[in-house]
Amino acid sequence: MTAQTTQKPRKTGAQRQAGGERSFAKEVKLLRLGEGDIFEGEGILAVTKAALQAGVSYVGGYQGSPVSHLVDVLSEAKDILDEYGVHLEICANEAGAAAMLGASVNYPIRGLVTWKSIVGTNVAADALSSLASTGVKGGAMVVIGEDYGEGASIIQERSHAYALKSQIWLLDPRPNLTSITNMVEKGFELSEATNTPVMLELRILACHVQGRFVCKDNATPKYSRNNPIKIPEFNVERIALPPFTYQQERDKVTRRLPAAIQFVKDNKLNEMFPGDMEEVGIIVQGGLYNTLIRSLGRLGLADLNGNSRLPLYVLNVTHPLIDDEIVEFCAGKSHVLMVEEGTPEYIEQAIHVALRKADVNTKVSGKDVLPAAGQYTNDVMLTGVAEFIRKAEPRGADLSAVSRALADTAALKQQAADLLGGTVPGRPPTFCTGCPERPVFTAIKLLERELGPTHISADIGCHTFAALPPFGLGNTVLGYGAGLASSTGIAPNFEKRTISIMGDGGFWHGGLTSGVASAAFNQADSVLIVMKNGYTSATGWQYLPSSPKDGDMSDTRMSIEKTIKALGITWQKKVHTYDLGKMVKTLREAMTTSRAGLKVIIAEAECQLAKQRRVKADRTKKLAAGKRAVRPRFGIDEDVCTGDHSCIRLSGCPSLTIKPNPDPLRTDPVAHIKEDCVGCGLCGEIAHAAALCPSFYQADIVYNPNLLERALSRARRAVIGRFYSREAVRLAEPVAGVLEAEESRAAA
Amino acid sequence: MSEGLRPVTVLIAAMGGEGGGVLMDWIVRAARSLNLPVQATSVPGVAQRTGATTYYVELLETPRQADDAPEPVMDLYPGVGDIDLMISSELVETARAIERGFVSPTRTTLIASTHRVYSILEKMSMGDARYDGDRIIAAAGKMAKRRIMFDMERAAGRVGCPMNSIILGAIAGSGLLPIAPEVFEEGIRTGGKAVEANLAGFAAGLAYARGEAMEDPPAKDSRPKPPTLNGAALALRARVENEFPAQTHTILLEAAGRVLDYQDPRYAALYLDRLADFLSVDKARADSDYELTREVGRHLALRMTYEDIIRVAQLKTRRSRFERVRREVEAEPGQLVKITEFLKPGVEEYASVLPPFVARRIISWAGKKKSRAAKLQIGMHVRTDTVFGFANLRLVAGLRRVRRRGYRFQQEQKLIEDWLALVREAAAADYALALETTECARLLKGYGDTHARGAENFARIAEAVIRPAIAGHVRDAAKAVRRARDSALADPEGKDLAEVLSEVGAGAAADVSPS
Repeated sequence: MTAQTTQKPRKTGAQRQAGGERSFAKEVKLLRLGEGDIFEGEGILAVTKAALQAGVSYVGGYQGSPVSHLVDVLSEAKDILDEYGVHLEICANEAGAAAMLGASVNYPIRGLVTWKSIVGTNVAADALSSLASTGVKGGAMVVIGEDYGEGASIIQERSHAYALKSQIWLLDPRPNLTSITNMVEKGFELSEATNTPVMLELRILACHVQGRFVCKDNATPKYSRNNPIKIPEFNVERIALPPFTYQQERDKVTRRLPAAIQFVKDNKLNEMFPGDMEEVGIIVQGGLYNTLIRSLGRLGLADLNGNSRLPLYVLNVTHPLIDDEIVEFCAGKSHVLMVEEGTPEYIEQAIHVALRKADVNTKVSGKDVLPAAGQYTNDVMLTGVAEFIRKAEPRGADLSAVSRALADTAALKQQAADLLGGTVPGRPPTFCTGCPERPVFTAIKLLERELGPTHISADIGCHTFAALPPFGLGNTVLGYGAGLASSTGIAPNFEKRTISIMGDGGFWHGGLTSGVASAAFNQADSVLIVMKNGYTSATGWQYLPSSPKDGDMSDTRMSIEKTIKALGITWQKKVHTYDLGKMVKTLREAMTTSRAGLKVIIAEAECQLAKQRRVKADRTKKLAAGKRAVRPRFGIDEDVCTGDHSCIRLSGCPSLTIKPNPDPLRTDPVAHIKEDCVGCGLCGEIAHAAALCPSFYQADIVYNPNLLERALSRARRAVIGRFYSREAVRLAEPVAGVLEAEESRAAA
Repeated sequence: MSEGLRPVTVLIAAMGGEGGGVLMDWIVRAARSLNLPVQATSVPGVAQRTGATTYYVELLETPRQADDAPEPVMDLYPGVGDIDLMISSELVETARAIERGFVSPTRTTLIASTHRVYSILEKMSMGDARYDGDRIIAAAGKMAKRRIMFDMERAAGRVGCPMNSIILGAIAGSGLLPIAPEVFEEGIRTGGKAVEANLAGFAAGLAYARGEAMEDPPAKDSRPKPPTLNGAALALRARVENEFPAQTHTILLEAAGRVLDYQDPRYAALYLDRLADFLSVDKARADSDYELTREVGRHLALRMTYEDIIRVAQLKTRRSRFERVRREVEAEPGQLVKITEFLKPGVEEYASVLPPFVARRIISWAGKKKSRAAKLQIGMHVRTDTVFGFANLRLVAGLRRVRRRGYRFQQEQKLIEDWLALVREAAAADYALALETTECARLLKGYGDTHARGAENFARIAEAVIRPAIAGHVRDAAKAVRRARDSALADPEGKDLAEVLSEVGAGAAADVSPS
């Protein structure tokens, strides 16, 4: 859709995308750097720069950690992309992004798409299989953010399997910007030389790495929006239909695979580093190289410049593997270690096969010294490599030093554990201060008191956090947009009506069809709550088809409500999420009504992060102009609060916390609202809906009040001032040590 | 090959939304401006939403010789015992860093804030589940080679700057990085955001790390100056000081004053009368430090000043309360602040101030149908900055004069007497049991349902544990009571309590059955 097709000029998906949680406006200037310039910045931005240098014609993707920034960067780089005629598509989901690469099937144009993996690759798998089968003419690259290990937000699997089963070349460069950007360039060449799509695997830390590389000039693509293709190519052999699929399958193994092996060898994409301990060696996935070097360094076996005493074979390409190189590296060595993250250990197995075939008897270590599950952090690597050294006993290695290094780290942790004497409390992620999704779960909690708990089919999004304390709500999570679909088996088999959750992100990502349309078709009798906050917030609030214009939730390009209605769902109610009483009532009605069919509650309120950014800027502007502005926030009367914390168990707002009880007669901490409260109103609603306690108050701080207001306030204060209740009697001298931080601040 | 040249390693532990990323950028930018090889990365993930998040930086101390010189190989992960500079923006995050081995006595300089941001697990407890902060500070003292620790949140509040600029100042002040303070300052200036505030914060952190700034002076009691004591109050004070030993004065003066403030001199006198028995118990003990008197005194005052609508109205209509609200919401002097109270008293709360015979009828009528009570419970938004709203609450506060005749007052007195009798009996059996029985009053707090649940839990523990214990049927009686009380505070559904009670019950039964 272009801006001209609607009455009001509106932004396209790509334009609306710009303006996410973090701004990259400054950084995108780096995309203009030319030959010989030094780029200093984030990994994901470097990939974008490398794509421009490689002359891509189109880019696209779906947001998700750790590649959300890539999508954000592309959006903010719209001007630059336009100059080169590069098209940016903000795809509806990863399947859309993968299908976009179809442009390169018939035409010699390069395309790059990105998503979060493994989940994104799962969604994209259908199109990827077809793409890999028919093959490509122009370079086709998928940048996958491998969301694995510490800080990952999804199920833990390797994307490697997709590369193997669909025959997509898998690039895993060393995690420095020179290697990564070089691999983008070489990846496109490899793709074209072998008519095969490639995946560039970037781990979380590599996506966010701040580094430098020497730039080249950006390349103008041969075909682009500035110079469109004029003649369509029709080649029935590029269609995924039998008998051509058989032909394509044969072509993959007889022509494309050998061509790829040759290309990787000729271009020396994998690297061999010599070392003086020649009877041993380490083979490593490129992405793990830096950590390996540091571990060797800590064992006294490598230096900061990467000089290692053990010979290294670095796989910047992990599929296909080059058997000749493996055999060449291993020949003459007694022991080789394969450093490969995750399970199954595909590469380690392949090495065994290669060596067996070549009749090389080198012992191969891998998962025997390194863990089968989990990320290879610095210390995991250190332990594994040390184990290997102890096993292989290379000549000249100081085994006692190796053991000492291990013992030292263990002793340090033990000492720490002894001193701390118990596990440090965790800090699970939760809804932000003032989040509009929180009240929905408060409502479910309150209704549970009446109706008892039911099965809740949760979904992916910020709302997944409801499973964590304090709510503990959500019995299953099966995928993005899959909340309602995942209820279809349990709903008919469960005594109570079940509840499904779906975000607006999940709705457009696939929940619309797999969930709502299917429920309408199958006449499901359950309750669906659609969290409509206006953005894909969990990934840093990117825009959606139903994103609001300037925060006006009724002014959206596409309407979830109308869409649901059009599918024939007749029971649909919209509730402002902060109206807790109404939310409980509506939910009760949905749970108990005799009406059959799907009951949909649209829980609507704008993402607080997005709202606050706008509201704060607006207030600052008003204050600067001397105009009237109001800042609402909540507070708790510390002498009325009895320290039961019921309010916290029904909210979990980061701003609603505890502080030492200022009352010397009480010991339990009192509830307290921090100064970052945004005044969303939930505290007051909970106090009412749950009939909790009278200690909450809302304070509206008025800036630049008008004359009438000021006069009225003065008059009120004059009257009230004469009738205050008597101050507390205190028989003792003031007790020291009960002062709060903010009071001392006020005093200062 | 020895380890030789190694990078300076910096690990930043922060929480989502705290500006840890900005801090990392400041360090990276400063290093780049000096042409030092530097690499940095972060693990935000879902932790961006208030969870724990980390940033890791490595840099070299010497500038690169040529622009195209090969870059050193730097790691993306922090290593156990391998961190030169550990930065933590909060005390429990510091503990986590120590736990994970990132603070080493031979290598690590620790820069950490001593303030607490409580985790949800600490906050949602029905009692007190706060992690012991002193333990962390002690551990930090042993584990760090050098430490710069102070309340950076408070410092930031005082300066009026983001906390990360205070931290950056402390980093510069530590002298551990090959980056002069002026270079950081230049970075803040070129960053162009909140430059003045950030520079002020930087200066404060720098001064602190160099030992030029001192810890905050010890806190003082900031509560409002109490009114001059009148005759009744003076007499009450004299009575406490004459009749009770010095060890109890701090608590009892506070407590007796509270009861006087709540009702009247007669009620305060009753308070002291009620303590007489416990004072005798303590007096009869050798080397007594009067713990029972103190503890009963503490809880008795709280029980006698139970929170009814009159009390809430009284607390909310004091001058000092409005001043405190203004302080809390950071209103400028003279600024207009509108205040809305969220009140939702139920039938029982209204009825509690009525005479018992009326109140009982109303409560039983409302209790017959669930919907009746719910309908009568109307949420009110009372604007106490307006004359009408204030007058409403002030009138309710004035009902203090008729409180004695009310239903709840009489009911509470009976419950208090029952509890005191229980403590007395316990004291006759076992002093420790008496203390634990006293402490069970902690269960009675909150309003409405919360209060009812606490009262019910108390009654269950009294029947199932305390009474059998007094009768001598429970082994380790004091411990059993404590366990039951803790379990009642463990979860609002009372699952834990049910388990503990059935266990104790079984034990008690076994104890009395003939063997």
